[in-house]
Amino acid sequence: EFRPRPPPRVAPADSRTSGSEPSRLAMAAAALRAQLNALLANMFTTGMVDEQFQQLQSLQEDGGSASGFVAEVATLFIDDADRIIADIAALLDQPVVDFDKVDAHVHQLKGSSSSVGAQKVKLACMHFRQFYEAKSKEGCLMALALVRSEFCDVRNKFQTMMQLEQQIAACGPK
Amino acid sequence: MELKAKGSTSIKALLVEDIGVCRLVLSTFLLRLHCEVTLAMNGKEAVDLFLEGKKFDIVLFDKDMPVMTGPEAIVKIRAMGETDVKMVGVSADDHAMEAFMSVGADLFVPKPMRMEALGPIIQEVINKKKNDMV
Repeated sequence: EFRPRPPPRVAPADSRTSGSEPSRLAMAAAALRAQLNALLANMFTTGMVDEQFQQLQSLQEDGGSASGFVAEVATLFIDDADRIIADIAALLDQPVVDFDKVDAHVHQLKGSSSSVGAQKVKLACMHFRQFYEAKSKEGCLMALALVRSEFCDVRNKFQTMMQLEQQIAACGPK
Repeated sequence: MELKAKGSTSIKALLVEDIGVCRLVLSTFLLRLHCEVTLAMNGKEAVDLFLEGKKFDIVLFDKDMPVMTGPEAIVKIRAMGETDVKMVGVSADDHAMEAFMSVGADLFVPKPMRMEALGPIIQEVINKKKNDMV
């Protein structure tokens, strides 16, 4: 009578056989890059950033600028914009609003947002103009709320972008 | 503050801009175009550099800056006899072109300035410098 032989025993997989550390890091980096690419694509398709931001990325990617250039620009923009928005809020909180100073600050924010490619923040600054030209405090407060909202959105996306870039860098070189 | 890229064209560019992120972006573009870049934070610092005898081939000015605006600085620098240096106004202000051109700027470019716009401007300065040397 034929009795089938039991299958040979196979040792369970362990780190010595199932894939090296470098290959696991490469896979992690690839997954993180996919997340980063999806984030950036979303920022473009929603109009949060425009061609100017794309140009800054191109400068970094083709080696014309140091790695970390886009992160440095984003960080500077976040710091500048935080300060400018706080200054505008303080001006609008005064019993008598100095609309010329509000104009100057909004203009600064428009310049810095356009230089980094933060399109929605730039557009919100352009929308602001009609209210300080009309010397409408209420209108300016509404416009500031929009600027702040758009800025918070792009700030969060930039911060996520930078975190992903740091995590990718931690996985090692390509 | 002076910045220099490898393979310099020996085009000396002065960037006059008070906003940090704008300064970083434009200076990076200029370095990419192989210019030697000097930075000034406002119009007065730019005027002081010329008073010290510094020479530049091109100066890019923001319009609204503390202490001294871009147009104010252009008036003072042109009054020193600096008629050859190319003066470029750069601003996000819709009404800035008139303010710059009326005081003797050679060119106005709206913000954000792109590499595609800056490249030909720098090339024109290079060509002029070569012709002047012949």
